[in-house]
Amino acid sequence: MFGMEFYVDPSRCIGCQSCLKACEECDTHRGVSMINFDFIDREQTIATAAYVCWHCADPTCAQVCPADAIKKYEDGIVGSSLKPRCIGCSNCVLACPFGIPKLVPQYEQMMKCDMCYDRTSVGKRPMCATVCPSQALAYVTPETIAQTRREKPVNTFWFGNQKITTKVYMMAPAEAGEIAIDVADYVWEEERELVPQAF
Amino acid sequence: MSWFRRPSSTPLWRDEFPVFTADERYVSRRQFTKFLTLTSFGMMVGNLWILAKSTFERPASYPEVPVAAMGEIAVGGVKIFNYPTAADPCILVRTAGEQYVAYSQKCTHLSCAVYYEKDRNRLECPCHQGFFSVADGAVLQGPPQRALPRVVLARKDGQLVAIRMEGETA
Amino acid sequence: MAKAPALEELRVHYGPHLNYTPPGGWVGEKTTPEKLVKTHCCFCGQQCGIQLKVRDNRVIGFEPWEDFPFNRGMLCPKGVKRYLQGSHPDRLLDPLMRTADGFRQATWDEALDFTVRRLREIQEKYGRDAVAVYGGASLTTEKAYLLGKFARVALGTRHIDYNGRLCMVSAGTAYKGAFGVDRAPNPWSDIAAAEVLLTIGANIGECAPITTDYIWRARDKGARLIVADPRFTPIARNADLYLPVRPGTDLALLMAMLHVIIRDGLTDGTFIEAHTTGFEKTAESVAPWTPRRAAEVSGVAPDAIEKAAHWIGESRRAMMLHARGLEHQSKGAENCEAVIAIALATGNIGREGAGPVMVTGQGNGQGGREHGQKCDQLPGQRSLTDPAARRHVASVWGISPDDLPGPGYTAVEIMNAIHSGEIKALLSICFNPLVSLPDANFTREALEKLEFFGVIDFFLSETAAHADVVLAGSLQEEEEGVTANVEARVIHIQKAVDPPGKARRDSEIVCDLARRLGRGDYFPFHEPREIFEELRRASQGGHADYYGITYEKIDRLQGVFWPCPTLEHPGTPRLFEDGRFFHEDGKAHFMSLAWRDSGDPVDQKFPVYLTTGRVVSQYLSGTQTRRIGALVDQYPEPKVEIHPRLAAEHGIANGDWVTVTSRRAEITLQAALVRTIRPDTVFIPYHWPGGRSANRLTHRTLDPRSKIPEFKVSACRLRKAAKPEDRD
Repeated sequence: MFGMEFYVDPSRCIGCQSCLKACEECDTHRGVSMINFDFIDREQTIATAAYVCWHCADPTCAQVCPADAIKKYEDGIVGSSLKPRCIGCSNCVLACPFGIPKLVPQYEQMMKCDMCYDRTSVGKRPMCATVCPSQALAYVTPETIAQTRREKPVNTFWFGNQKITTKVYMMAPAEAGEIAIDVADYVWEEERELVPQAF
Repeated sequence: MSWFRRPSSTPLWRDEFPVFTADERYVSRRQFTKFLTLTSFGMMVGNLWILAKSTFERPASYPEVPVAAMGEIAVGGVKIFNYPTAADPCILVRTAGEQYVAYSQKCTHLSCAVYYEKDRNRLECPCHQGFFSVADGAVLQGPPQRALPRVVLARKDGQLVAIRMEGETA
Repeated sequence: MAKAPALEELRVHYGPHLNYTPPGGWVGEKTTPEKLVKTHCCFCGQQCGIQLKVRDNRVIGFEPWEDFPFNRGMLCPKGVKRYLQGSHPDRLLDPLMRTADGFRQATWDEALDFTVRRLREIQEKYGRDAVAVYGGASLTTEKAYLLGKFARVALGTRHIDYNGRLCMVSAGTAYKGAFGVDRAPNPWSDIAAAEVLLTIGANIGECAPITTDYIWRARDKGARLIVADPRFTPIARNADLYLPVRPGTDLALLMAMLHVIIRDGLTDGTFIEAHTTGFEKTAESVAPWTPRRAAEVSGVAPDAIEKAAHWIGESRRAMMLHARGLEHQSKGAENCEAVIAIALATGNIGREGAGPVMVTGQGNGQGGREHGQKCDQLPGQRSLTDPAARRHVASVWGISPDDLPGPGYTAVEIMNAIHSGEIKALLSICFNPLVSLPDANFTREALEKLEFFGVIDFFLSETAAHADVVLAGSLQEEEEGVTANVEARVIHIQKAVDPPGKARRDSEIVCDLARRLGRGDYFPFHEPREIFEELRRASQGGHADYYGITYEKIDRLQGVFWPCPTLEHPGTPRLFEDGRFFHEDGKAHFMSLAWRDSGDPVDQKFPVYLTTGRVVSQYLSGTQTRRIGALVDQYPEPKVEIHPRLAAEHGIANGDWVTVTSRRAEITLQAALVRTIRPDTVFIPYHWPGGRSANRLTHRTLDPRSKIPEFKVSACRLRKAAKPEDRD
């Protein structure tokens, strides 16, 4: 949109949670933060990761919604659930391969990142990517990424046999093609073809 | 309406409830109500327009058109002429020596041409047996509900001149 | 006299209570701002640009300010949530006066007259120097300047110092001694242009988050990152070399690095010859410090030391960032001198991407240490003992140079003097010593001895609870002024709202006190702008020359780097570009480096190193950030970080309660078992008061030259404990 795309690079994340704080300040869903933030394993490592919704090309959450409450707009953004329609059934919460949608109990409604649609639809940057001090979350043009970063943006993921293409890019080491998220995909078993990127 | 749909492997419900807003043909209640209101309003305006048109557009005064010379037709004879425009056929009947009457020839039932039945001295419509009085054009029998519009004649310089219509419903 | 009333009572009225919701709520029409005010964050020295949303004279939210070049819209969580400190239920709306069991509201006249009367009485009885003034480095430069003038001209005391004594003085002493000026020499943009970056004692990811992007951008271009810290801090994830230096031993590491640089011929002889003096004595002092010896002292592998030294020595674009980890030691000044020595020896200074970088911590740590708020300083970074400086400033102030007092005590020394009875009265602003000074029990005893204690503050901090008078002051967004950020860029703080209730702007309060002390002629200021005008003249000709700076120029240029001697001058982003330093001889001075043990050494009885520090969601003593709900939720309680190996020796599991005992006191906290810390060290963040205060454990050893306390190295022992019943 307006030539800019969203890039996530967890290796840059410093765990400050500025994204979490700024998310709830955006006008679309004030007071509720939609960032998924984790300490990977604090005892072992300082590593943290913050994720936004990946805005899949063919969103699984929307496909499984029984109330037709999740829509994907023409600019590629997958909206949060439509308030009059969502019945709080959690189908999407269970179905999303990235674990993004959350059922918010006080509203009995699913809420998820909508890339600050009030901002991005008019050419401003989403709150999280604007404030992120390490630019682990970045909202810039593809040219800027190509010129400034050594990592490569990737937006196809394999979950078992399901291939997911997303609007949001993950920054991966330069040699990576598609990212397989299943250890079983890396395991060599005779007669079975591994996903292309496994090794 | 499923017979209008091309065969497809996607089930109907996926088409009807698309995930992508670009594919939506959804009409909201608001949109539909808007549509009804606008159409209804449009019709009202149309009606008001027609009313205004007819109120302010009086037809021009009837022309004076010579129909026949005195003595041109025999007693009991007829002459067909057009009045007030070329598209309006009328019939002139000489009922007695100096008595002439003229009416619109279009039967008030379904516009067939009426003719003068001399023996029974009345105007008859061949289509559905509608009969009209020669004296005043009133309906004597049959399906017509309205009298024949009468052409008012005047004598000028030895001529019979049609000067206006009476009993015409616009 | 200044014994604090019962804490529970105070907490009910004055908090800390948590504010979660913006004024007017999260949704509704009240969320539309009437105006956006471009200003800067009220917290750390990065001074990120931010826009405040204002409606009905209240700050209701924020909007990123993407055009401000330093942070380009980026903010840390404190900056995002800072606006919730306004419209706060704990806000002091009236002056308070002490009663038998608490505080009562008072009128301004009553509170100010009482303050003035008591100060006069005490000075008449005990002498002028029986009164001390504490200032702070989060005050705007105008207020810092005003306070220095107030102490000397209105009160006539020599004892004025500030909380920056706990912050930048080690670096200040070192840089002033080496270069003749106390300022980071390079603009921050140079960091992204460096080839080799060393961060030592600097937890960039949690204490200066915005600098992270500068470091990452350098790495994107192929730069290498060396992190030296007893803990594996967030930026260490991407370090090319991690040096797990034992607390208090950074000097050994640095001296060994310099040793290797000299040994392997990586020095820039031409530069040393042309632009420095004293290199020989430095080289001599590091001669015995082989990597092997440093490894034994610091716990960093000899190979790693060699590598680090080579990376820096072989690069023409090496920058070394250092912060309190390096400076909060009794060798703090020496540590910084060692960093400077490496920079000078390798010629890595005065160019793009090359230089030592002091990371100023507090919002106006730079500006607040330039214009007289320090016990030995006059405006313009002038020395209080320099006759020419005294003449210049006295003439600007309209007094005789003889009326200017001499140097006084530093911050911790003032507290020591209060404890010993030498100082009887204290007037304090922007400082919460009960939480931020070491050895909190000693501080509390001292405060209880004061005959008069007056505080200007906007919340009732733990220290203010001991006051006789609390004057309701202003938040940063309620008064206009300037600050100087980490790169000495002077920036404009805009006033967004008026102080609420009967609270007043800080500068008004100080000027009012001066007037009631009979010195109103010297404080004719009604607006911060007027103070700034005088400050320009007072600083003119000094190193920190602000004469060419005006508010409008700052707005136009998005900040002006000092020195800026004339109105036409564009400011000075990078110092020493011409190889000239600020000493008389124009050269940089090497210092000889000598090892000393820390002031609270580890031994049999106290075998574990204790180091203290910060978390990203809290700021300093927490007076503001412990009142913001979202920030408290991020890290609600201090935990003691212990390596699993050390924890196993004590039978401690993750989440167990642990009593940490030092030579002074003990506190009980929950343990957080992490592999990201040295196995001989524990870490406690210091933002909390009372029974959760890390500073109950720390000691009052000072660096002899800078007088900074040695927060980063103490000795302690651990013992598994039961959950404390009742902990304040």
